[in-house]
Amino acid sequence: MVKTFAATLDSLEPIRNFIAEHCVEVNLNKKQTYGLCLAVDEIATNIINYGYPATGASNGQIEVHVQTNFSDQLKVTLIDTATPFNPLQHLTPEEADLNIPLEERPIGGLGIVLARQSVDDFNYEYKDGSNYNIFVINAQA
Amino acid sequence: MKVSVKETETAVIASIEGSIDSKTAPDLQQSILPVVNDRNLMVLDLTAVSFVSSAGLRVLLMVYRQLKSNNGKVVLVGVSEEIMDVMFMTGFITFFEIAPTLKEAFANN
Repeated sequence: MVKTFAATLDSLEPIRNFIAEHCVEVNLNKKQTYGLCLAVDEIATNIINYGYPATGASNGQIEVHVQTNFSDQLKVTLIDTATPFNPLQHLTPEEADLNIPLEERPIGGLGIVLARQSVDDFNYEYKDGSNYNIFVINAQA
Repeated sequence: MKVSVKETETAVIASIEGSIDSKTAPDLQQSILPVVNDRNLMVLDLTAVSFVSSAGLRVLLMVYRQLKSNNGKVVLVGVSEEIMDVMFMTGFITFFEIAPTLKEAFANN
């Protein structure tokens, strides 16, 4: 299943809804569905707010691919042609010091930490001029 | 997302409905931050909130900082299990008081 969305903040809710519909097919529970929607929302937000503005393109798009594997795994791939950005090269959940008092914590970077913690597997590839952000959730996990 | 704000002499109560993502977080910030003033209790009713992303957490952080500078506190009401998980994951949970209902938020404050 593929659906293309305009790379604007107005697309965030429709993207989450599109993914949530498919979570039902593989019987993901509420927590897993929420985690997948959160992870995709965070990465899509980065693409919209930083990725496309960095290229100067005003009509960017995000392709959302949803694939079910063996009826117990859901794989979501976001494909965009914005500036190359590998979230894996940024803070890992372990590196981001979540114990720093909230009032002293820098604002920013939290989205990537949340994205990576909210799914079973997260991968990134850059090929043929496109970013591929890949999220996997296992229904049996 | 919809926000309705109620002000009393000492507290601000904001009831929020819908999703707090990068699209809606700026609206939320504008609706609640300017009304804090010198009050020292902010109650955020999240009972009707279905989704909070890091953009929403950032607004909560700004509200917390503002209240903290007034020696006040922020009470979150009706937080769903999924949103609670995210708050645990990020360590945000320790900075807010949590109450199941508005009535209980005021009974303890």
